Amino acid sequence: MSNEFAQFQDAFFEEAAEHLAVIEEGLLQLEQHPEDLDLLNKIFRSAHSIKGASGMFGFNAVAQFTHKMETLLDLLRNGQAAVSSTIADLLLKSTDCLKTLIDAAKSGTPVDNETVQRLTVELAAASAGNVPAARHASESAKVAPAVPTGKAQSYAINWTPPEWLFQRGLDPLQVIKELGDLGTLSQVAVDVSRLPDLAEIDPERCYLSWSMRLKTGKDRQVVEAVFDFVREDSVLTIEECETLSVKREGLESGNEIRFTNDERPSESGAAKPLGEILVESGVVSRAALDEALAQQKRVGEILIEQHAASPQQVEQALQKQRQQEATSQSKKADTASIRVDTAKIDKLINLVGELVITQSMLSDLGTRFEMSQIHVLLERMAQLERNTREIQERVMSIRMLPIGTAFSRFPRLVRDLSAKAGKKIQLILSGEETELDKTVIESIGDPLTHLVRNSADHGLETPEVRLDDNKPEVGTIRLNAFHEGGNICITVEDDGRGLDREKILAKAAKQGLIAENEKLSDDQIWSMIFKPGFSTADKITDISGRGVGMDVVKRNIENLSGTISIKTEKGKGTRFTLKLPLTLAIIEGMMVRVGRETYIVPLLSILESLQPRPESVKTVIGKGELINVRNTYLPIVRLYEVFSLQPEHTDPTKGILLILETEGERVVVMVDEILGQQQVVIKSMEQNFRKVEGIAGATILGDGTVGFILDVRGLMEIACREAPLVA
Amino acid sequence: MAAAQPETAMKDLHQPSESATGGSQFLTFNLGEELYGVDILRVQEIKGYTAVTKIPNTPSYVKGVLNLRGTIVPIVELRTKFGMPTIEYTMVTVIIVVVVKEKVMGLVVDGVSDVLDIDKKDVQAPPNFGARINVSFMNGIGKSGDKLVALLDIDRMLSGEDMQGVAAAAA
Amino acid sequence: MSRIALVVDDSRTMRQMVAFTLTNAGFTVIEAEDGKDAVRKVEAGTKLDIVVTDLNMPEMDGITLIKELRRLTAYKFTPILMLTTESAQEKKKEGKEAGATGWIVKPFNPDVLLKTIAKVLPA
Repeated sequence: MSNEFAQFQDAFFEEAAEHLAVIEEGLLQLEQHPEDLDLLNKIFRSAHSIKGASGMFGFNAVAQFTHKMETLLDLLRNGQAAVSSTIADLLLKSTDCLKTLIDAAKSGTPVDNETVQRLTVELAAASAGNVPAARHASESAKVAPAVPTGKAQSYAINWTPPEWLFQRGLDPLQVIKELGDLGTLSQVAVDVSRLPDLAEIDPERCYLSWSMRLKTGKDRQVVEAVFDFVREDSVLTIEECETLSVKREGLESGNEIRFTNDERPSESGAAKPLGEILVESGVVSRAALDEALAQQKRVGEILIEQHAASPQQVEQALQKQRQQEATSQSKKADTASIRVDTAKIDKLINLVGELVITQSMLSDLGTRFEMSQIHVLLERMAQLERNTREIQERVMSIRMLPIGTAFSRFPRLVRDLSAKAGKKIQLILSGEETELDKTVIESIGDPLTHLVRNSADHGLETPEVRLDDNKPEVGTIRLNAFHEGGNICITVEDDGRGLDREKILAKAAKQGLIAENEKLSDDQIWSMIFKPGFSTADKITDISGRGVGMDVVKRNIENLSGTISIKTEKGKGTRFTLKLPLTLAIIEGMMVRVGRETYIVPLLSILESLQPRPESVKTVIGKGELINVRNTYLPIVRLYEVFSLQPEHTDPTKGILLILETEGERVVVMVDEILGQQQVVIKSMEQNFRKVEGIAGATILGDGTVGFILDVRGLMEIACREAPLVA
Repeated sequence: MAAAQPETAMKDLHQPSESATGGSQFLTFNLGEELYGVDILRVQEIKGYTAVTKIPNTPSYVKGVLNLRGTIVPIVELRTKFGMPTIEYTMVTVIIVVVVKEKVMGLVVDGVSDVLDIDKKDVQAPPNFGARINVSFMNGIGKSGDKLVALLDIDRMLSGEDMQGVAAAAA
Repeated sequence: MSRIALVVDDSRTMRQMVAFTLTNAGFTVIEAEDGKDAVRKVEAGTKLDIVVTDLNMPEMDGITLIKELRRLTAYKFTPILMLTTESAQEKKKEGKEAGATGWIVKPFNPDVLLKTIAKVLPA
């Protein structure tokens, strides 16, 4: 059954992975909102999709297991069973199990049958008592294979279809034609007695009945099957009239599949081995063939006998062969594909359209070119250049995916970790829409996982300790991704105990990493934890603390040309910041004007913009200019001042104030005017120049000139430094 | 410093492109009355002057950045760099795009003049101009016919902290 | 003129397989990922020879889709096949009442699919 659809297997595995993610995420949310029917429906549909498609490929283990999950989910969504934490837990475990079953179908990795069995029983038990017995019956009651009677029958058929036959798109002529295909149809008569007068006829109703005789070698079931879609609603009689014997040539052997010993029916299309054919045609007996086969030597053995190769060489070659087989299989399993937002494709198509126009303008110019038109030529060439460049960039951006895909594993992880460590943990994700190159996303998962584990295990305290310390009982782990300074930053932050300076120093001294009384800066001390083999955990737990990891995390990040830094405060928490370079990124930007210059502010960092009333602006000695925004005083950074520009306005009440936020801190930036929103491609300033403070990168504006993207963090730093001077 | 200068300058001269005559080819350009030369192999292209975007908080000789086929290229005004008065740009004002340590940069000059073959033996160590021009930016003074050309060492001139952030690490 | 089939399934793989089989059999296939998508795609009165739809879908399920199509004059008599599973007898009944012409039980192979279509669609 699966062969015809084999080419869709990869698509299935890809889709199954997506559904698994939906199920897992859904179940985690369901624990918080057990009444959410939409959520249950979503989970059910994903399970249902996996079940349906896996059956198509003959992945019966997957289909059967998913069916068990589906049964339970169906009861939940119909309100026949309630979502409890036990049930959520069972379903989550089952999801894991389903994952391994799917992996097994994909790459042949072994499955823990015991787990499958156990969960199957648990799922059945959870559904038991609520399941209508009939459902099981209809499932298991496979239609018995039709037993050929070997006789041609003549049937008298009378059929009165339901009046609404047409309204279901059924055509009685189709049914009669199909009957005709089964054998010889005769004495077909239509009964028009129910036909009303013409004036009363509803042309959408069927008033006719038929009677006919069918002579066929096919079984009764086959005849009945013709009426499959209408039988229940029709008046239908099929009566046997007389029997005739017919010869059934070769049907017996043609229809049967024999399984003897461990023989399998040969693959369709594959030629049978010579021996098999000889046995089948009776030339040699099976025993004689087996004996001959037993004597047959393998190529390796023959070569060894003939001293052409040593046993070791043959063994090596065999090993190599096995390796190659293994790798060729794993390679096949890993054909990567990427799903692309259609908006990106549409944009690309538009650009190609522009390219075509430019090309035709150029060729038009070429046919009747004169030197006087050189400037036109140059202009068009520039246009062509722009088109090409932009297409290149857009094509590159196809590789960009939202980081949310890498974050999606953490709700489950944190849930399990909190259960294991006996801590209460809430996870907050933000910036999931930040786009990153596909390869980076794929390689960032493991380091992030380690950091999250680390926070859960080392960072956060137990509920008792937290309560003693006047902290909320529930600890928080926060994952955030954002663009900053031409980089992509990912932070993993907890509000736990923070790194223990003394402990790290003691440990480092003990391991001989530092001298006993060496003076170290905080940053130097924190960076100790990235040394191989370094762990301060008092006890080794199941979660982390085995002393492997942080050095690997660091190395992984560095492999991506990124950096990792630590900010920690005793008793308050720890924040790890991963900074990854981005060769190309597109951000939503707000274009603003200061004097004659245009700058781009990352849209994500803009909280609001306003024109202040004079009374809300205050000058505070030592703190510079402050503005009252909803009862909080925030420092004003005049962009023209930090960038030494000629502004149109110097009075904050005449210009526009943008309230910007990054990493939880806020700053107010004053500009002359807001020009509008635009998607911009971030260009590196460092490629040909260097980092400029307050500027995250550059971009090319619509008119071909360069515009700068503001670095909000950098502006804050400038503001902090200069504030005292202003006052 | 002054004593060591001629030697290094002469040594450096072996690196520029050597023409068939054993000399090198230089693109020469004008700044005021003076003629300067830059190794032709370091020149990527010459383009007419177009408006640049000013970079905040950079030295005055960094004129700004330009979009050169999609990459961001910094533009240096040589007059300012050499402490000469700025003038109005004209039709012949050009940007010479050069490559310095794999970075692409543009130099604004009054106008390009010629491509000259300058033989090794016609290059002398740079004389001391006093404070007006920093001779450390020069490889020497080349002679071609009756013209004297100040041969620039653009690597030394443009690889400092201000341009490439070598020692800056402002991040 | 090639015949037009509307294939509705939220499972990408299933949709592709059905579409593939029908395309090979000479159909022009319109794919939709749920009932709402399907309605939107045929709203303009596109000529349809046959509809093959899944039942369990987000946004708009198959049953509702069948009802919606039957409400439109253009699809009053168009054969509509639903994809069901062995265990979903209730759904099958609901589908029939909504106006489905017939059903195909999952899993199926291309042969079964094409034979079932031949059953309801005049050649």
